[in-house]
Amino acid sequence: MGVAIRDLISDYKTPVEWGELRGPAAVDGNNALYQFLTTIRQPDGTPLMDREGRVTSHLSGIFFRVISFLENDIKPVFVFDGAPPDFKSETLEVRRERKAVAETAYRQAVAVGDTASAFRHARAATKVDETIISGAKELLGYMGVPCIDAESEGEAQAAYMVMNGDVRYSISQDYDSLLFGAPRLVRNLTVSRKRKVRGRTITVSPEEILLSDVLEGKGITREELVEIGILVGTDFNSGVKGVGAKTALKIVKSGKFIEALGEKDPGFDPQPVKDFFLSPPVVTDYSLSWSHVDREGVISYLCSRHDFSEDRVNSVLERIGVKGGQKTLDSWF
Amino acid sequence: MLKAAINTDIFKESIDVMAAMVTECRMHISPGGFSTRAVDTANVAMVSLELSAGAFSSFDATESDIGLDINKMKNIVAMMEKDDTLSLDLPEGGHKIEMSFSGYKYSIALLDVNTVRKDPNPPTINLPGKVVISGSVLYNSIKAAALVSDKIAFGIDPEKGIFYMEADGDMDHIYYELPKDDLVSFVPAEARSLFSLDYLKDLGRVMSKSDQVEIHIGMDHPVKFAFSIADGKGNVEYLLAPRIEAD
Repeated sequence: MGVAIRDLISDYKTPVEWGELRGPAAVDGNNALYQFLTTIRQPDGTPLMDREGRVTSHLSGIFFRVISFLENDIKPVFVFDGAPPDFKSETLEVRRERKAVAETAYRQAVAVGDTASAFRHARAATKVDETIISGAKELLGYMGVPCIDAESEGEAQAAYMVMNGDVRYSISQDYDSLLFGAPRLVRNLTVSRKRKVRGRTITVSPEEILLSDVLEGKGITREELVEIGILVGTDFNSGVKGVGAKTALKIVKSGKFIEALGEKDPGFDPQPVKDFFLSPPVVTDYSLSWSHVDREGVISYLCSRHDFSEDRVNSVLERIGVKGGQKTLDSWF
Repeated sequence: MLKAAINTDIFKESIDVMAAMVTECRMHISPGGFSTRAVDTANVAMVSLELSAGAFSSFDATESDIGLDINKMKNIVAMMEKDDTLSLDLPEGGHKIEMSFSGYKYSIALLDVNTVRKDPNPPTINLPGKVVISGSVLYNSIKAAALVSDKIAFGIDPEKGIFYMEADGDMDHIYYELPKDDLVSFVPAEARSLFSLDYLKDLGRVMSKSDQVEIHIGMDHPVKFAFSIADGKGNVEYLLAPRIEAD
Protein backbone atom coordinates (compact mmCIF):
# COMPACT_ATOMS: atom_id res chain seq x y z
CA MET A 1 0.00 0.00 0.00
CA GLY A 2 1.21 3.47 -0.71
CA VAL A 3 4.40 4.49 -2.41
CA ALA A 4 7.85 3.61 -1.05
CA ILE A 5 9.57 6.99 -1.20
CA ARG A 6 10.44 7.17 2.50
CA ASP A 7 14.16 7.38 1.73
CA LEU A 8 13.57 10.65 -0.11
CA ILE A 9 11.23 12.08 2.48
CA SER A 10 13.08 11.34 5.70
CA ASP A 11 15.09 14.58 5.65
CA TYR A 12 11.91 16.63 5.40
CA LYS A 13 9.96 15.16 8.29
CA THR A 14 9.54 17.68 11.07
CA PRO A 15 8.32 16.74 14.55
CA VAL A 16 5.10 18.53 15.39
CA GLU A 17 3.21 18.82 18.66
CA TRP A 18 -0.47 17.95 18.91
CA GLY A 19 -1.08 21.50 20.11
CA GLU A 20 0.23 22.90 16.81
CA LEU A 21 -2.30 20.95 14.81
CA ARG A 22 -5.47 22.77 15.80
CA GLY A 23 -8.09 23.33 13.15
CA PRO A 24 -9.75 21.31 10.39
CA ALA A 25 -7.88 18.31 8.99
CA ALA A 26 -8.72 15.66 6.40
CA VAL A 27 -8.25 12.09 7.58
CA ASP A 28 -7.57 9.37 5.02
CA GLY A 29 -10.48 7.26 6.27
CA ASN A 30 -9.62 3.93 4.63
CA ASN A 31 -6.01 4.25 5.75
CA ALA A 32 -7.10 4.93 9.33
CA LEU A 33 -9.56 2.01 9.35
CA TYR A 34 -6.93 -0.32 7.97
CA GLN A 35 -4.53 0.71 10.73
CA PHE A 36 -7.14 0.13 13.42
CA LEU A 37 -8.12 -3.25 12.04
CA THR A 38 -4.52 -4.44 11.77
CA THR A 39 -3.33 -3.20 15.15
CA ILE A 40 -6.28 -3.45 17.52
CA ARG A 41 -6.26 -7.19 17.97
CA GLN A 42 -5.70 -9.77 20.63
CA PRO A 43 -2.30 -11.53 20.76
CA ASP A 44 -3.61 -14.39 18.58
CA GLY A 45 -4.84 -11.96 15.94
CA THR A 46 -8.53 -12.07 16.89
CA PRO A 47 -10.04 -8.62 16.39
CA LEU A 48 -12.21 -6.98 19.02
CA MET A 49 -15.73 -8.25 18.62
CA ASP A 50 -19.11 -7.75 20.19
CA ARG A 51 -21.29 -10.57 21.53
CA GLU A 52 -22.67 -11.25 18.07
CA GLY A 53 -19.21 -11.68 16.62
CA ARG A 54 -19.18 -8.37 14.75
CA VAL A 55 -15.74 -6.78 14.47
CA THR A 56 -15.39 -3.62 16.56
CA SER A 57 -11.63 -2.92 16.44
CA HIS A 58 -12.18 -0.04 14.02
CA LEU A 59 -14.91 1.47 16.22
CA SER A 60 -12.58 1.47 19.19
CA GLY A 61 -9.85 3.06 17.08
CA ILE A 62 -12.12 5.76 15.71
CA PHE A 63 -13.65 6.58 19.07
CA PHE A 64 -10.36 7.05 20.88
CA ARG A 65 -8.64 8.82 18.03
CA VAL A 66 -11.46 11.29 17.41
CA ILE A 67 -11.60 12.06 21.13
CA SER A 68 -7.85 12.80 21.01
CA PHE A 69 -8.44 15.06 18.03
CA LEU A 70 -11.25 16.93 19.77
CA GLU A 71 -9.22 17.26 22.97
CA ASN A 72 -6.56 18.97 20.93
CA ASP A 73 -9.01 21.19 19.02
CA ILE A 74 -8.40 19.28 15.81
CA LYS A 75 -11.54 19.15 13.67
CA PRO A 76 -11.34 16.00 11.57
CA VAL A 77 -13.22 15.24 8.39
CA PHE A 78 -12.97 11.60 7.34
CA VAL A 79 -12.55 11.00 3.63
CA PHE A 80 -13.38 7.55 2.28
CA ASP A 81 -12.35 5.99 -1.01
CA GLY A 82 -14.76 6.05 -3.92
CA ALA A 83 -14.47 3.91 -7.05
CA PRO A 84 -10.88 2.88 -7.83
CA PRO A 85 -9.50 3.75 -11.26
CA ASP A 86 -9.50 0.93 -13.80
CA PHE A 87 -5.74 0.58 -13.71
CA LYS A 88 -5.88 -0.27 -10.00
CA SER A 89 -7.74 -3.49 -10.73
CA GLU A 90 -4.56 -5.54 -11.06
CA THR A 91 -3.27 -4.30 -7.69
CA LEU A 92 -6.63 -4.99 -6.07
CA GLU A 93 -6.73 -8.50 -7.51
CA VAL A 94 -3.24 -9.22 -6.17
CA ARG A 95 -4.28 -7.89 -2.75
CA ARG A 96 -7.44 -10.02 -2.75
CA GLU A 97 -5.40 -13.13 -3.51
CA ARG A 98 -2.84 -12.32 -0.80
CA LYS A 99 -5.56 -11.75 1.74
CA ALA A 100 -7.26 -15.02 0.84
CA VAL A 101 -3.96 -16.84 1.35
CA ALA A 102 -3.37 -14.98 4.63
CA GLU A 103 -6.89 -15.83 5.79
CA THR A 104 -6.27 -19.54 5.25
CA ALA A 105 -2.87 -19.32 6.95
CA TYR A 106 -4.49 -17.49 9.86
CA ARG A 107 -7.08 -20.22 10.42
CA GLN A 108 -4.41 -22.90 10.25
CA ALA A 109 -2.19 -21.03 12.74
CA VAL A 110 -5.13 -20.64 15.13
CA ALA A 111 -5.94 -24.34 14.76
CA VAL A 112 -2.42 -25.36 15.80
CA GLY A 113 -2.14 -22.68 18.49
CA ASP A 114 0.69 -20.75 16.80
CA THR A 115 -0.19 -17.35 18.28
CA ALA A 116 2.61 -15.32 16.70
CA SER A 117 1.85 -16.58 13.19
CA ALA A 118 -1.86 -16.16 13.74
CA PHE A 119 -1.38 -12.52 14.64
CA ARG A 120 0.83 -11.90 11.60
CA HIS A 121 -1.54 -13.61 9.17
CA ALA A 122 -4.58 -11.95 10.69
CA ARG A 123 -3.01 -8.55 10.03
CA ALA A 124 -2.21 -9.54 6.47
CA ALA A 125 -5.78 -10.73 5.91
CA THR A 126 -7.32 -7.45 7.06
CA LYS A 127 -10.02 -6.06 4.79
CA VAL A 128 -11.81 -2.72 4.94
CA ASP A 129 -15.23 -3.64 3.59
CA GLU A 130 -18.57 -1.87 3.31
CA THR A 131 -19.77 -3.08 6.72
CA ILE A 132 -16.66 -1.66 8.36
CA ILE A 133 -17.01 1.65 6.55
CA SER A 134 -20.72 2.07 7.23
CA GLY A 135 -20.18 1.32 10.93
CA ALA A 136 -17.37 3.86 11.05
CA LYS A 137 -19.56 6.47 9.38
CA GLU A 138 -22.40 5.88 11.80
CA LEU A 139 -20.11 6.35 14.80
CA LEU A 140 -18.51 9.45 13.26
CA GLY A 141 -22.01 10.84 12.78
CA TYR A 142 -22.73 10.49 16.50
CA MET A 143 -19.40 12.16 17.22
CA GLY A 144 -20.32 15.18 15.09
CA VAL A 145 -17.57 14.48 12.56
CA PRO A 146 -18.30 14.99 8.85
CA CYS A 147 -17.52 12.29 6.29
CA ILE A 148 -16.91 12.72 2.59
CA ASP A 149 -17.08 10.01 -0.05
CA ALA A 150 -14.32 10.67 -2.53
CA GLU A 151 -14.94 10.42 -6.24
CA SER A 152 -12.05 7.98 -6.38
CA GLU A 153 -9.01 7.82 -4.06
CA GLY A 154 -9.52 9.29 -0.57
CA GLU A 155 -5.97 10.63 -0.41
CA ALA A 156 -6.55 12.55 -3.65
CA GLN A 157 -9.72 14.07 -2.21
CA ALA A 158 -7.95 14.97 1.02
CA ALA A 159 -5.08 16.56 -0.92
CA TYR A 160 -7.57 18.63 -2.91
CA MET A 161 -9.22 19.83 0.28
CA VAL A 162 -5.88 20.97 1.69
CA MET A 163 -4.99 22.69 -1.57
CA ASN A 164 -8.41 24.35 -1.56
CA GLY A 165 -7.78 25.70 1.96
CA ASP A 166 -10.80 23.92 3.47
CA VAL A 167 -8.62 21.92 5.83
CA ARG A 168 -5.14 22.68 7.09
CA TYR A 169 -3.50 19.33 6.39
CA SER A 170 -4.02 15.73 5.43
CA ILE A 171 -3.60 12.88 7.92
CA SER A 172 -2.35 9.63 6.44
CA GLN A 173 0.49 7.19 6.87
CA ASP A 174 0.92 6.87 3.13
CA TYR A 175 3.11 9.18 1.11
CA ASP A 176 0.73 9.00 -1.88
CA SER A 177 -0.86 12.14 -0.45
CA LEU A 178 2.24 14.06 -1.53
CA LEU A 179 2.02 12.68 -5.05
CA PHE A 180 -1.61 13.80 -5.13
CA GLY A 181 -0.36 17.27 -4.19
CA ALA A 182 -1.19 17.58 -0.48
CA PRO A 183 0.80 20.66 0.59
CA ARG A 184 0.98 19.41 4.20
CA LEU A 185 0.89 15.80 5.33
CA VAL A 186 0.78 14.80 8.99
CA ARG A 187 1.66 11.27 10.09
CA ASN A 188 1.70 9.33 13.34
CA LEU A 189 -1.30 10.98 14.98
CA THR A 190 -1.92 7.91 17.08
CA VAL A 191 -3.39 7.79 20.55
CA SER A 192 -0.94 5.23 21.91
CA ARG A 193 2.11 6.96 20.38
CA LYS A 194 3.08 3.45 19.26
CA ARG A 195 3.08 1.84 15.86
CA LYS A 196 3.85 -1.66 14.64
CA VAL A 197 6.49 -1.69 11.94
CA ARG A 198 7.50 -5.03 10.47
CA GLY A 199 6.37 -6.88 13.56
CA ARG A 200 8.12 -4.59 16.03
CA THR A 201 6.39 -1.99 18.16
CA ILE A 202 8.10 1.37 17.99
CA THR A 203 7.32 4.65 19.68
CA VAL A 204 6.28 7.31 17.23
CA SER A 205 5.43 10.97 17.53
CA PRO A 206 3.52 13.21 15.16
CA GLU A 207 5.50 14.50 12.20
CA GLU A 208 4.66 16.74 9.31
CA ILE A 209 5.95 16.85 5.77
CA LEU A 210 5.57 19.91 3.59
CA LEU A 211 5.43 19.08 -0.09
CA SER A 212 7.23 22.33 -0.93
CA ASP A 213 10.18 21.29 1.31
CA VAL A 214 10.49 17.95 -0.48
CA LEU A 215 10.30 19.45 -3.96
CA GLU A 216 12.68 22.32 -3.21
CA GLY A 217 15.04 20.11 -1.24
CA LYS A 218 15.34 17.56 -4.00
CA GLY A 219 15.17 20.10 -6.80
CA ILE A 220 12.25 18.40 -8.50
CA THR A 221 8.74 19.24 -9.62
CA ARG A 222 5.63 17.46 -8.40
CA GLU A 223 5.40 15.78 -11.78
CA GLU A 224 8.90 14.42 -11.25
CA LEU A 225 7.94 13.24 -7.77
CA VAL A 226 5.10 11.32 -9.40
CA GLU A 227 7.57 9.83 -11.88
CA ILE A 228 9.76 8.72 -8.98
CA GLY A 229 6.67 7.13 -7.44
CA ILE A 230 5.89 5.30 -10.66
CA LEU A 231 9.43 3.93 -10.86
CA VAL A 232 9.38 2.57 -7.30
CA GLY A 233 5.77 1.42 -7.59
CA THR A 234 2.41 2.84 -6.56
CA ASP A 235 -1.03 1.44 -5.84
CA PHE A 236 -1.56 1.62 -9.61
CA ASN A 237 1.60 0.05 -11.00
CA SER A 238 4.16 -2.41 -9.73
CA GLY A 239 7.23 -0.26 -10.40
CA VAL A 240 10.59 -1.27 -11.80
CA LYS A 241 12.25 -4.16 -10.06
CA GLY A 242 15.44 -3.18 -8.26
CA VAL A 243 14.75 0.56 -8.42
CA GLY A 244 14.41 2.25 -5.04
CA ALA A 245 13.59 5.86 -4.27
CA LYS A 246 17.18 7.14 -4.48
CA THR A 247 17.86 5.44 -7.80
CA ALA A 248 14.52 6.68 -9.09
CA LEU A 249 15.47 10.22 -8.14
CA LYS A 250 18.70 9.94 -10.13
CA ILE A 251 16.85 8.51 -13.13
CA VAL A 252 14.22 11.24 -13.11
CA LYS A 253 16.71 14.06 -12.56
CA SER A 254 18.79 12.83 -15.48
CA GLY A 255 15.67 12.95 -17.66
CA LYS A 256 15.64 9.20 -18.27
CA PHE A 257 12.26 8.34 -16.79
CA ILE A 258 10.69 7.12 -20.04
CA GLU A 259 13.88 5.41 -21.09
CA ALA A 260 14.32 3.50 -17.81
CA LEU A 261 10.69 2.50 -17.72
CA GLY A 262 10.76 1.42 -21.35
CA GLU A 263 13.81 -0.78 -20.77
CA LYS A 264 12.48 -2.57 -17.72
CA ASP A 265 8.75 -2.57 -18.38
CA PRO A 266 8.17 -1.91 -22.08
CA GLY A 267 4.47 -2.77 -22.07
CA PHE A 268 3.52 -0.22 -19.41
CA ASP A 269 2.16 3.21 -20.36
CA PRO A 270 2.77 5.50 -17.36
CA GLN A 271 0.72 8.41 -18.68
CA PRO A 272 -2.69 7.42 -17.24
CA VAL A 273 -1.12 6.88 -13.80
CA LYS A 274 0.74 10.18 -14.04
CA ASP A 275 -2.42 12.00 -15.08
CA PHE A 276 -4.32 10.38 -12.25
CA PHE A 277 -1.86 11.61 -9.63
CA LEU A 278 -1.61 15.08 -11.12
CA SER A 279 -5.31 15.70 -11.74
CA PRO A 280 -7.34 13.03 -9.97
CA PRO A 281 -11.14 13.04 -10.02
CA VAL A 282 -12.40 14.78 -6.88
CA VAL A 283 -15.68 15.92 -5.40
CA THR A 284 -15.77 19.70 -5.34
CA ASP A 285 -19.27 20.45 -4.04
CA TYR A 286 -18.83 19.06 -0.53
CA SER A 287 -19.73 21.01 2.57
CA LEU A 288 -18.02 20.66 5.91
CA SER A 289 -20.06 20.97 9.06
CA TRP A 290 -18.96 19.82 12.49
CA SER A 291 -21.52 19.15 15.16
CA HIS A 292 -21.41 18.40 18.87
CA VAL A 293 -20.89 14.93 20.23
CA ASP A 294 -24.24 13.20 20.69
CA ARG A 295 -23.56 11.41 23.97
CA GLU A 296 -26.71 9.32 23.90
CA GLY A 297 -26.03 8.29 20.32
CA VAL A 298 -22.44 7.30 21.05
CA ILE A 299 -23.40 5.33 24.18
CA SER A 300 -26.26 3.60 22.43
CA TYR A 301 -24.15 2.68 19.41
CA LEU A 302 -20.99 1.59 21.20
CA CYS A 303 -22.36 0.19 24.44
CA SER A 304 -25.89 -1.05 23.72
CA ARG A 305 -25.25 -2.27 20.20
CA HIS A 306 -21.58 -3.24 20.30
CA ASP A 307 -20.97 -4.12 23.97
CA PHE A 308 -18.35 -1.49 24.81
CA SER A 309 -17.99 -0.75 28.52
CA GLU A 310 -20.27 2.15 29.37
CA ASP A 311 -18.01 3.27 32.22
CA ARG A 312 -15.03 3.37 29.90
CA VAL A 313 -16.88 5.24 27.14
CA ASN A 314 -18.30 7.70 29.65
CA SER A 315 -14.93 8.42 31.20
CA VAL A 316 -13.42 9.08 27.79
CA LEU A 317 -16.32 11.34 26.77
CA GLU A 318 -15.81 13.30 29.98
CA ARG A 319 -12.37 14.27 28.72
CA ILE A 320 -14.07 16.51 26.15
CA GLY A 321 -16.69 17.77 28.57
CA VAL A 322 -19.44 15.34 27.55
CA LYS A 323 -20.72 14.13 30.89
CA GLY A 324 -23.37 11.76 32.05
CA GLY A 325 -26.21 13.51 33.82
CA GLN A 326 -25.50 16.64 31.83
CA LYS A 327 -28.29 17.77 29.52
CA THR A 328 -27.46 19.47 26.26
CA LEU A 329 -29.11 22.53 24.77
CA ASP A 330 -30.70 20.41 22.01
CA SER A 331 -34.01 20.26 23.82
CA TRP A 332 -34.35 24.02 23.76
CA PHE A 333 -33.38 24.81 20.17
CA MET B 1 -14.23 45.48 5.01
CA LEU B 2 -13.43 46.66 8.49
CA LYS B 3 -11.49 49.66 9.68
CA ALA B 4 -11.85 50.29 13.38
CA ALA B 5 -10.11 51.33 16.56
CA ILE B 6 -11.02 50.16 20.04
CA ASN B 7 -9.73 50.43 23.59
CA THR B 8 -7.62 47.36 24.34
CA ASP B 9 -9.45 46.73 27.63
CA ILE B 10 -12.78 46.44 25.81
CA PHE B 11 -11.35 44.17 23.14
CA LYS B 12 -9.70 41.98 25.77
CA GLU B 13 -12.94 41.76 27.73
CA SER B 14 -14.78 40.69 24.57
CA ILE B 15 -12.24 37.98 23.82
CA ASP B 16 -12.40 36.78 27.44
CA VAL B 17 -16.19 36.51 27.13
CA MET B 18 -15.80 34.13 24.18
CA ALA B 19 -12.73 32.26 25.46
CA ALA B 20 -14.62 31.16 28.57
CA MET B 21 -16.63 28.84 26.33
CA VAL B 22 -15.29 28.37 22.80
CA THR B 23 -12.01 28.25 20.93
CA GLU B 24 -13.32 29.73 17.70
CA CYS B 25 -16.37 31.55 16.41
CA ARG B 26 -18.00 33.14 13.40
CA MET B 27 -17.98 36.87 13.98
CA HIS B 28 -20.58 38.85 12.05
CA ILE B 29 -19.38 42.31 11.17
CA SER B 30 -21.86 44.96 10.09
CA PRO B 31 -22.04 48.75 10.13
CA GLY B 32 -23.77 48.33 13.52
CA GLY B 33 -20.84 46.48 15.15
CA PHE B 34 -19.78 42.92 15.96
CA SER B 35 -22.04 40.02 16.89
CA THR B 36 -21.59 36.32 17.38
CA ARG B 37 -23.34 33.32 18.85
CA ALA B 38 -21.58 30.02 19.50
CA VAL B 39 -22.02 26.79 21.41
CA ASP B 40 -19.31 24.74 23.08
CA THR B 41 -18.23 21.40 21.63
CA ALA B 42 -20.44 19.42 24.00
CA ASN B 43 -23.50 21.56 23.14
CA VAL B 44 -24.02 22.30 26.81
CA ALA B 45 -23.45 26.04 26.79
CA MET B 46 -24.01 28.93 24.43
CA VAL B 47 -22.51 32.39 24.31
CA SER B 48 -23.95 35.36 22.53
CA LEU B 49 -22.01 38.61 22.22
CA GLU B 50 -23.01 41.90 20.67
CA LEU B 51 -20.56 44.75 20.57
CA SER B 52 -22.05 47.88 19.06
CA ALA B 53 -20.14 50.26 16.83
CA GLY B 54 -20.37 52.71 19.73
CA ALA B 55 -17.99 50.55 21.75
CA PHE B 56 -15.26 51.44 19.24
CA SER B 57 -13.50 54.80 19.09
CA SER B 58 -13.86 54.62 15.32
CA PHE B 59 -15.77 52.08 13.25
CA ASP B 60 -16.31 51.67 9.54
CA ALA B 61 -17.46 48.31 8.24
CA THR B 62 -19.45 46.54 5.56
CA GLU B 63 -21.35 43.29 6.14
CA SER B 64 -19.08 40.27 6.41
CA ASP B 65 -18.52 37.11 8.43
CA ILE B 66 -15.08 36.18 9.64
CA GLY B 67 -13.77 33.07 11.41
CA LEU B 68 -11.92 34.03 14.58
CA ASP B 69 -9.45 31.75 16.31
CA ILE B 70 -10.24 32.72 19.89
CA ASN B 71 -7.22 30.87 21.33
CA LYS B 72 -4.92 32.85 19.08
CA MET B 73 -6.71 36.08 19.97
CA LYS B 74 -6.33 35.31 23.66
CA ASN B 75 -2.57 35.05 23.24
CA ILE B 76 -2.45 38.30 21.30
CA VAL B 77 -4.56 40.31 23.74
CA ALA B 78 -2.17 39.15 26.46
CA MET B 79 0.46 41.25 24.68
CA MET B 80 -1.68 44.40 24.81
CA GLU B 81 -1.08 47.19 27.29
CA LYS B 82 -3.95 48.35 29.45
CA ASP B 83 -6.02 51.28 28.18
CA ASP B 84 -4.20 51.36 24.85
CA THR B 85 -5.71 51.59 21.38
CA LEU B 86 -6.03 48.61 19.06
CA SER B 87 -6.50 49.27 15.35
CA LEU B 88 -8.25 46.63 13.25
CA ASP B 89 -7.97 46.58 9.49
CA LEU B 90 -9.53 43.99 7.22
CA PRO B 91 -9.77 44.68 3.48
CA GLU B 92 -12.86 43.60 1.54
CA GLY B 93 -12.68 39.82 1.06
CA GLY B 94 -9.39 39.67 2.98
CA HIS B 95 -8.24 36.52 4.74
CA LYS B 96 -5.98 38.26 7.23
CA ILE B 97 -6.84 40.91 9.75
CA GLU B 98 -4.27 43.50 10.67
CA MET B 99 -4.09 44.26 14.40
CA SER B 100 -1.90 47.17 15.46
CA PHE B 101 -1.13 48.24 19.03
CA SER B 102 1.84 49.58 20.99
CA GLY B 103 3.98 49.65 17.86
CA TYR B 104 3.22 45.99 17.04
CA LYS B 105 1.54 45.20 13.76
CA TYR B 106 0.14 41.66 13.61
CA SER B 107 -1.29 40.19 10.45
CA ILE B 108 -3.50 37.37 11.66
CA ALA B 109 -4.86 34.63 9.42
CA LEU B 110 -8.60 34.21 9.78
CA LEU B 111 -10.32 30.85 9.89
CA ASP B 112 -12.33 29.82 6.87
CA VAL B 113 -15.89 30.54 8.07
CA ASN B 114 -17.08 27.35 6.39
CA THR B 115 -14.97 25.32 8.79
CA VAL B 116 -16.36 27.05 11.88
CA ARG B 117 -19.50 25.60 13.38
CA LYS B 118 -22.61 27.44 12.24
CA ASP B 119 -24.34 29.77 14.67
CA PRO B 120 -27.02 28.01 16.66
CA ASN B 121 -30.56 29.30 16.29
CA PRO B 122 -31.81 31.48 19.12
CA PRO B 123 -33.29 29.04 21.65
CA THR B 124 -36.97 29.01 22.45
CA ILE B 125 -37.03 29.05 26.19
CA ASN B 126 -39.18 30.40 28.96
CA LEU B 127 -37.39 31.17 32.21
CA PRO B 128 -39.88 32.71 34.62
CA GLY B 129 -37.60 33.56 37.54
CA LYS B 130 -35.15 36.41 37.41
CA VAL B 131 -32.70 37.96 39.85
CA VAL B 132 -30.04 40.58 39.38
CA ILE B 133 -26.91 40.40 41.51
CA SER B 134 -23.37 41.64 41.28
CA GLY B 135 -20.95 39.51 39.29
CA SER B 136 -18.51 39.28 42.18
CA VAL B 137 -21.17 37.89 44.54
CA LEU B 138 -22.12 35.35 41.90
CA TYR B 139 -18.52 34.31 41.29
CA ASN B 140 -17.78 34.05 45.01
CA SER B 141 -20.72 31.72 45.50
CA ILE B 142 -19.53 29.60 42.57
CA LYS B 143 -16.06 29.37 44.10
CA ALA B 144 -17.53 28.55 47.49
CA ALA B 145 -19.65 25.73 46.04
CA ALA B 146 -16.68 24.37 44.10
CA LEU B 147 -14.94 23.64 47.40
CA VAL B 148 -17.44 20.89 48.20
CA SER B 149 -18.98 19.78 44.90
CA ASP B 150 -18.78 19.76 41.10
CA LYS B 151 -22.33 21.02 40.69
CA ILE B 152 -24.50 23.79 42.09
CA ALA B 153 -28.24 24.38 42.25
CA PHE B 154 -29.69 27.83 41.65
CA GLY B 155 -33.19 28.36 42.91
CA ILE B 156 -35.89 30.84 43.85
CA ASP B 157 -38.31 30.35 46.72
CA PRO B 158 -41.09 32.81 45.87
CA GLU B 159 -42.87 32.38 49.21
CA LYS B 160 -39.80 33.21 51.24
CA GLY B 161 -38.73 35.82 48.70
CA ILE B 162 -35.21 34.46 48.38
CA PHE B 163 -32.74 33.45 45.71
CA TYR B 164 -30.50 30.60 46.81
CA MET B 165 -27.51 28.58 45.74
CA GLU B 166 -26.85 25.13 47.10
CA ALA B 167 -24.23 22.47 46.51
CA ASP B 168 -23.90 18.91 47.75
CA GLY B 169 -20.68 16.97 47.81
CA ASP B 170 -20.29 13.33 48.88
CA MET B 171 -19.96 14.42 52.50
CA ASP B 172 -20.36 18.16 52.53
CA HIS B 173 -23.02 20.71 51.83
CA ILE B 174 -23.12 24.45 51.27
CA TYR B 175 -26.12 26.75 51.18
CA TYR B 176 -26.21 30.45 50.48
CA GLU B 177 -29.27 32.64 50.17
CA LEU B 178 -29.95 36.21 49.24
CA PRO B 179 -33.24 37.82 50.36
CA LYS B 180 -34.96 39.96 47.77
CA ASP B 181 -33.96 43.15 49.55
CA ASP B 182 -30.31 42.32 48.93
CA LEU B 183 -30.92 41.80 45.26
CA VAL B 184 -30.79 44.52 42.63
CA SER B 185 -33.93 43.08 41.09
CA PHE B 186 -36.16 40.09 41.87
CA VAL B 187 -38.87 38.44 39.77
CA PRO B 188 -40.20 35.57 41.89
CA ALA B 189 -41.22 32.24 40.35
CA GLU B 190 -40.81 28.65 41.48
CA ALA B 191 -37.39 27.72 40.10
CA ARG B 192 -34.59 25.30 40.75
CA SER B 193 -32.00 23.82 38.39
CA LEU B 194 -28.66 22.11 38.84
CA PHE B 195 -25.54 23.13 36.90
CA SER B 196 -21.99 21.97 36.31
CA LEU B 197 -19.40 23.98 38.18
CA ASP B 198 -16.80 23.13 35.53
CA TYR B 199 -18.61 25.49 33.22
CA LEU B 200 -19.65 28.00 35.86
CA LYS B 201 -16.13 28.56 37.16
CA ASP B 202 -15.02 29.76 33.72
CA LEU B 203 -18.13 31.84 33.12
CA GLY B 204 -18.10 33.21 36.67
CA ARG B 205 -14.57 34.54 36.28
CA VAL B 206 -15.72 36.65 33.32
CA MET B 207 -18.98 37.73 34.99
CA SER B 208 -17.19 38.73 38.22
CA LYS B 209 -16.15 41.99 36.56
CA SER B 210 -19.72 43.04 35.94
CA ASP B 211 -21.66 45.16 38.47
CA GLN B 212 -24.93 43.54 37.56
CA VAL B 213 -25.65 40.11 36.18
CA GLU B 214 -29.19 39.04 35.32
CA ILE B 215 -29.84 35.41 36.19
CA HIS B 216 -32.87 33.86 34.51
CA ILE B 217 -33.91 30.46 35.81
CA GLY B 218 -36.72 27.92 35.69
CA MET B 219 -37.44 24.38 36.84
CA ASP B 220 -34.85 21.97 35.42
CA HIS B 221 -34.20 24.42 32.66
CA PRO B 222 -31.07 26.12 31.40
CA VAL B 223 -29.86 29.21 33.21
CA LYS B 224 -29.32 32.41 31.28
CA PHE B 225 -26.83 34.98 32.48
CA ALA B 226 -27.06 38.40 30.86
CA PHE B 227 -24.70 41.27 31.49
CA SER B 228 -23.18 44.20 29.72
CA ILE B 229 -19.61 45.09 28.89
CA ALA B 230 -17.93 48.15 27.40
CA ASP B 231 -19.95 50.62 29.49
CA GLY B 232 -23.20 49.18 28.23
CA LYS B 233 -22.17 49.23 24.57
CA GLY B 234 -21.78 45.50 24.54
CA ASN B 235 -24.20 42.78 25.65
CA VAL B 236 -23.40 39.24 26.60
CA GLU B 237 -25.62 36.24 27.22
CA TYR B 238 -24.49 32.87 28.47
CA LEU B 239 -26.89 29.94 28.37
CA LEU B 240 -26.02 26.78 30.26
CA ALA B 241 -27.96 23.51 30.10
CA PRO B 242 -28.83 21.90 33.43
CA ARG B 243 -27.54 18.69 34.88
CA ILE B 244 -30.03 16.02 35.84
CA GLU B 245 -30.83 16.06 39.56
CA ALA B 246 -30.03 12.70 41.15
CA ASP B 247 -32.92 10.99 42.95
